[in-house]
Amino acid sequence: MGQPWPCLLQCERVSVLPIMGRLTNVNRDTQAWPCPGRIVPTFSRRGFLQRSSLGFGWLAFNGLFANQTIAASHHVAKAKSIVFCFMDGGPSHVDTFDYKPMLKKHEGQKIGESAVSKRSQSAPNRVWLGSPWEFKQRGHSGLWVSDLFPKLGKVADELCVVRSMVGELPLHGQSNLLLHTGRSLGQAPSFGSWVSYGLGTVNHNLPGYVVLNNDWVPNGGLENFGSSYLPASHQATMMRAKGVPVDNIAPKDTAAIQRRKLALLAEQDAAFATVASDAKAIEGAIANYETAFRMQTEVPELADIRREPEAIRNLYGLDSKDEHQRYYATQALRARRMVEAGVRFIEITCPSFDGNNSPWDQHGMLKVNHEKNARVTEQSVAALIIDLKQRGLLDQTIVLWAGEMGRTPHTPAVSANCGRDHHVNGFTLCMAGGGFKGGMAYGETDEFGNAAVVNPLTVHDIHATLLHQLGIDHTKLTFRHGGRDQRLTDVHGEVIRALLV
Amino acid sequence: MVRRAAVFAMVTTAVAVATPSRLVLAETPEKIAYFESKVRPLLLAQCIECHGEKQQKGGLRLDSRAAWLKGGELGPAIVPGKPDESLLIKAVRYQDKDLKMPPKKALLPKEVEILVEWVRQGAVDPRKDSVGAVASPINAEWEAAFQKRLDWWSLKPLKPIEAPKPFEGPWGLEPIDRFIMAGFDAAKLRPAPQTEPEVLLRRLSFVLTGLPPTPAMRERFLLNLQRAESKSYEGLVDELLASPHFGERFARHWMDVVRYTDTYGYEWDNPAKGSHEYRDYLIRAFNGDLPYDHFVREQLAGDLLAKPRINTEFGINESLIGPMFYHMGEHRHGSSLVFNGVHQDMVNNKIEAFSRAFLATTVACSRCHDHKLEAVSQRDYYALGAVFMTPRWTSRVVDAPGKNDAAIQRLITLRTEIRQEMAKVWRLVAKNPDAWPASNLLKLLPPKAPAIEDIRYPLVRLMSEKGDIAAAWNTLIKEWRSTRAERQKHNQVFTLLADFSRPTMPVEWVTEGDGIRFGHVEDGTPLIALEGDTAFARLLPRGYHTHALSSKLPGALRMPPDHTVPGKRVSLKLAGGQFGGYLEMHENAFQGEEVSFLTNVQPQWRTFADKGRSNGITRITYDFATSSLNPNFPPRTGLAAGLPNNDFGFDKRSWISITGIVSHDGAATPLDTLDAFESLYEGAAPKTVEESHQRIHSWFTQAVFRWCDGKSRLGDQQVLDWLLTNKLLPNTAAPESGLAKLLAEYRRIEQGIAFPRTVNSMDERETAKAAYTLNIRGNVDAAGEMVQPDFLRMFASRNEVAKSTGSGRLELANSLVQADHPLTARVYVNRIWHWVMGSGLVATPDDFGRLGERPTHPELLDYLAGEFVREGWSTKKLIRRLVLTQTFRQAGTVTDDGRTRDPGNRFRHHYPTRRLEAEAIRDSMLAVSGRLDSQLYGRPIFPPRVAEDPAKRLFAGPLDGRGRRSVYLQMSIMEPPKFLVGFNLPDLRLPTGRRDETNVPAQALMLLNDPFVIAMARHWGQQLMKSSHATPEDRVRAMFVAAFARSPSDTELNRWSSAARDLASPGHADLMKDETAWANLGHAFFNAKEFLYYR
Repeated sequence: MGQPWPCLLQCERVSVLPIMGRLTNVNRDTQAWPCPGRIVPTFSRRGFLQRSSLGFGWLAFNGLFANQTIAASHHVAKAKSIVFCFMDGGPSHVDTFDYKPMLKKHEGQKIGESAVSKRSQSAPNRVWLGSPWEFKQRGHSGLWVSDLFPKLGKVADELCVVRSMVGELPLHGQSNLLLHTGRSLGQAPSFGSWVSYGLGTVNHNLPGYVVLNNDWVPNGGLENFGSSYLPASHQATMMRAKGVPVDNIAPKDTAAIQRRKLALLAEQDAAFATVASDAKAIEGAIANYETAFRMQTEVPELADIRREPEAIRNLYGLDSKDEHQRYYATQALRARRMVEAGVRFIEITCPSFDGNNSPWDQHGMLKVNHEKNARVTEQSVAALIIDLKQRGLLDQTIVLWAGEMGRTPHTPAVSANCGRDHHVNGFTLCMAGGGFKGGMAYGETDEFGNAAVVNPLTVHDIHATLLHQLGIDHTKLTFRHGGRDQRLTDVHGEVIRALLV
Repeated sequence: MVRRAAVFAMVTTAVAVATPSRLVLAETPEKIAYFESKVRPLLLAQCIECHGEKQQKGGLRLDSRAAWLKGGELGPAIVPGKPDESLLIKAVRYQDKDLKMPPKKALLPKEVEILVEWVRQGAVDPRKDSVGAVASPINAEWEAAFQKRLDWWSLKPLKPIEAPKPFEGPWGLEPIDRFIMAGFDAAKLRPAPQTEPEVLLRRLSFVLTGLPPTPAMRERFLLNLQRAESKSYEGLVDELLASPHFGERFARHWMDVVRYTDTYGYEWDNPAKGSHEYRDYLIRAFNGDLPYDHFVREQLAGDLLAKPRINTEFGINESLIGPMFYHMGEHRHGSSLVFNGVHQDMVNNKIEAFSRAFLATTVACSRCHDHKLEAVSQRDYYALGAVFMTPRWTSRVVDAPGKNDAAIQRLITLRTEIRQEMAKVWRLVAKNPDAWPASNLLKLLPPKAPAIEDIRYPLVRLMSEKGDIAAAWNTLIKEWRSTRAERQKHNQVFTLLADFSRPTMPVEWVTEGDGIRFGHVEDGTPLIALEGDTAFARLLPRGYHTHALSSKLPGALRMPPDHTVPGKRVSLKLAGGQFGGYLEMHENAFQGEEVSFLTNVQPQWRTFADKGRSNGITRITYDFATSSLNPNFPPRTGLAAGLPNNDFGFDKRSWISITGIVSHDGAATPLDTLDAFESLYEGAAPKTVEESHQRIHSWFTQAVFRWCDGKSRLGDQQVLDWLLTNKLLPNTAAPESGLAKLLAEYRRIEQGIAFPRTVNSMDERETAKAAYTLNIRGNVDAAGEMVQPDFLRMFASRNEVAKSTGSGRLELANSLVQADHPLTARVYVNRIWHWVMGSGLVATPDDFGRLGERPTHPELLDYLAGEFVREGWSTKKLIRRLVLTQTFRQAGTVTDDGRTRDPGNRFRHHYPTRRLEAEAIRDSMLAVSGRLDSQLYGRPIFPPRVAEDPAKRLFAGPLDGRGRRSVYLQMSIMEPPKFLVGFNLPDLRLPTGRRDETNVPAQALMLLNDPFVIAMARHWGQQLMKSSHATPEDRVRAMFVAAFARSPSDTELNRWSSAARDLASPGHADLMKDETAWANLGHAFFNAKEFLYYR
């Protein structure tokens, strides 16, 4: 036993540089926590990577060289982490941030052929539906936010709202995958995996990409959080709100028994390493036990929010009577702790409370269930922004609030229980912190909120802009797979500078 | 810019589009002047530099009318007369984010207006055609690139290779070793020494079966080794090759290659029908050493083979399971008819999997453009798409033909005998003049007259008639006659496609399953009740009833594409139940959701109108099927009312009836022509109430007699079924009667019929070849030409795919298995080498192209491929040869020379230490702990889950998977087994020839704390309590043998025995009986690197 920790510190230091971050990152898959000094002298770097048990030596080798150009064209990062508050199911844009008085005025009137779109569940005989919530201008900026989000409304001056998002297909699975992987077909790494791959983690006892979830599998499947062809170490670690936070994190043995087992293994495995053809792979596996042993205490400590001051806990909504809100608040507060601990990409999923296929998917009961979703989530999101700000972390942390789609401004028939259907022809998402301009709205939909007409953006543009703030050029963060240099944004995406400070 | 080859076809389309605007095309001197003064200078100044003679960006020239009519990659640049539809105008207006011209600076508004006006006026352009000059360089460019790219090592035909000359010593015998040795000589390297027997044993066992060697096997091997050194290893090889676990191991390898899953993913993760049958097929194929050429033919065209491979032991048509290969991978729900892109994305996924699995070539890249590096054009991609889209992607019965014939014939005989017995009873009833007293009939009548086709209609009218019976009778007849005449006239507009007076289906309609094969009945055939006191469930109308003999029998009727059936509509008279229904399929909609389940017992007309085509949909077809033959059954949760979420559609009774098929243009459906009443109205009118009752009585009587004599008339069935349903005819079998015995026998035989085995496969019978729409730049909204089925042009001289009248899949498969095919054998032999040796001779098993690795030993690869073909494409012979080589038997020792000169072991100077694959880790724990259940085959087993999600059918299974090997765990795309994912189970959506092997702390956490690992350690502890070891040392020795296949050294013995003492329960007196101590020790074994790796 006894991997020398100074070696680890060395890695931490170098990983601040993008290129070295990638190098240590690549190595980390073979060697748990390598000391570069130990690897390089034995072989050429190319040789090492090609023979590595990683199984993608040649590709990683290519990646390294590509990386050198990255290093040259990379820029100073504005932000270090992203917290992605994923509003699974598609919150309605026209009931949240995209104020459309015309809908009320024309409520019940047929939308007509001209309003029908392939990117929307639409038909000419559907009718416009006004928002059940009042809109007000908030903060100094006067950003429009509806009464559905009273708490988010209070941080309006921090929000950078994009109201002109355009998706591909108005279907959950495809849109979730598009939002998460940049491909509606999926079969590609998640955004968080790319960030982890590109930047590595600054805390070696924690993964670079964490999804705060509650064993919820969103449409599109766990692939939304997967690393696909990127090395598996970049896939999300799932942390649940209820029960043991991370699978297998709670020791099954008493500390004494576990230590005794590890001591036995250390002796036995050291001998095996000497007869293995690749001692380093075995040593890496051995070193993993050291880290795992520490994670057993560090991860639960990180997840343990009981010791947070009561005022902070209440700010997030942990005093709520609603268990789903408490779950969400728990996760949001954990997200802040993870930002502090150096986790790069944190995603919080929405709790599903009524067996719905996806939480925000209100084809009916718009009023009741959008309000419930808002109650469960918005206080915590606002609290996260406030809390990060008061700690001086908001500047270097991006809070992304986004669903995979918006909802139709129209409905088959107006009634008390009616809802809105799938709509990707113009919808809204927003960012806060991390160098995004607060209190602004970008892009416009038409007067009914039915189609993006001014400055339409795609998910690729958002991905490109977010990566840009992390100091990554989206055209240069690549991984060779399937015969080409793949990237998160495929062949699309532009950095939208108008959103940035 | 890579140019496209498919220029000419696009010219045709473009011109066709332009023709309607010919009216405004008139060239007047004014228009020519306008062009010359305003338009030409503008084009010259702003456009021609990039879109003229020197450059043709985007394939577009703007220097002649023909050139812009042809357009570039996005299609015609100008639609004369229609500025708003012209791409040129869109581009200069900067309307589209992706199409802004000129790219750097927009034209001035007045310049835009000049172009708009010009186009509006008909875009008169007097310049001479330049298209001819354009077209040839573009083609020549691709042609040159194509020819150049053919010059690539993996595309050269296989040629006989002579092995290096034999020499003295163990490395000089087997040609494979001699090739390797030649490499050593060239690189000045030496092989590692031969590895120790126990290490070799463990290596061989994992390579061939994915399981650790059993202690008994080890003992046998060591004993043989003592006795006769030379043959003992060969004996071991043969023993392991013969093990049924060999098939499980290699099937799993192949499952990686074809991205095997049990579900279809996306939102609903629907079950993939018959996936486990395909998995079991693979296991049998590898265990039975199915020659690879046949294996290829079966997976690509198993449904088309003239002589399918029938497995008599299992009663299965193996060949028909093969094409489930195509159904692997993720399937989007819905269809392109609603949202464009669904089928195109699915086909892309299929092309990718096919080309990687069999050709190690990346064809999917060419969806959007000609390949940037390989000799694959965009047209090739779409031609292959046409091959795959031609057949119907649907369920097939894979039971061996005739499997149930004996039972079915027996049921038919019994049904006849039952009918005869019942006829005796009914005849007696009919002879009784008071069989149906008026008082009984009156009870059945509704207060108001029912519909005219209702059997009760004349009864109500006559039996409640108080006045002039004869007049009433005559009115009835008149009404009947006129209605009948009207209806006959009404029915004349329908084209009868089948009335089922004979057992035939309309031409080009395809049927499947014994339910249809034996489902045709004459009017009045009894449907035998399968339970209860009654003998007949009902009397069937003539037509097809899949449940006519047993509702276990599967049946499907598949309609040709709707627009090819005459008439605008086609109507079928249908009944069905138990999730029998119909499915509307748009361009093979891979997870179509247009499924309807029938719940009516009496057949009713249902109309299927021709649908409009949009979004590249060329064919819409319908399948009418029992649940077992519905390729999308069960559908997503919630779509089949009454079906529990955890019902995966196995072993279900289901039925449909088809009693009429007509085609027509109007909306109405055929009407009942009231035949049932014909015999009632024969003869003179009755004069009294009694007489009219007699007439009714006789109507019934005559129908019964005719039925008993087997001479039923049209309409009798309706009368008799009414009598039966209303209990006016006896329907029970007296105990001990002949009828009762026959009935019991019928039910016994029916009970013995097995539920059908059905899988999603291909059906190409009566299917015309389909062209597939080329998408310009891969954009699903930009339809290009229709491309006919064909194989990649690089193999043009090798195949006759294009000549096929169908998809050409069989021709394609046959061409792949030609003995000198450049890729098939090379790719497969390399895969085997990779699986056996740890890395391929080509390190990228899925890519033999320019982005892949070059072979380390090209001659050896070709030699092996040649030998493989020569030895009958036998996988087992190849593997046997490989594991018998000295190369395989080397130790893992790496010399300093090897480390410095060849760190990647390209020259094979040692056998690499390999981590067990995810499945092998789990399976080893099962095996070593004694929990392994060696049973083969079966339906997928749910992995353990913390949380279930019934709506997505994510259910939790037992922690230990009932002790079954990992290959049998359910591979759900949405949430694959977590334990396996932790150890690099590949992404289930991607074809994977070479797995990643990451090494991360999460794995240590799993091995330390995962409940499965803990449970297996406990199980091992329990098993050890039953053993008779005298001392802790004895027990440690046994555990070493079980876990590592070797004895411990003295140091190790001390180390582990003392650990056992430390790990004991506090206060436990007898260590040997302290289960916890041994479970703890077992747990440590599971965490040992020697357990997780083999060398």
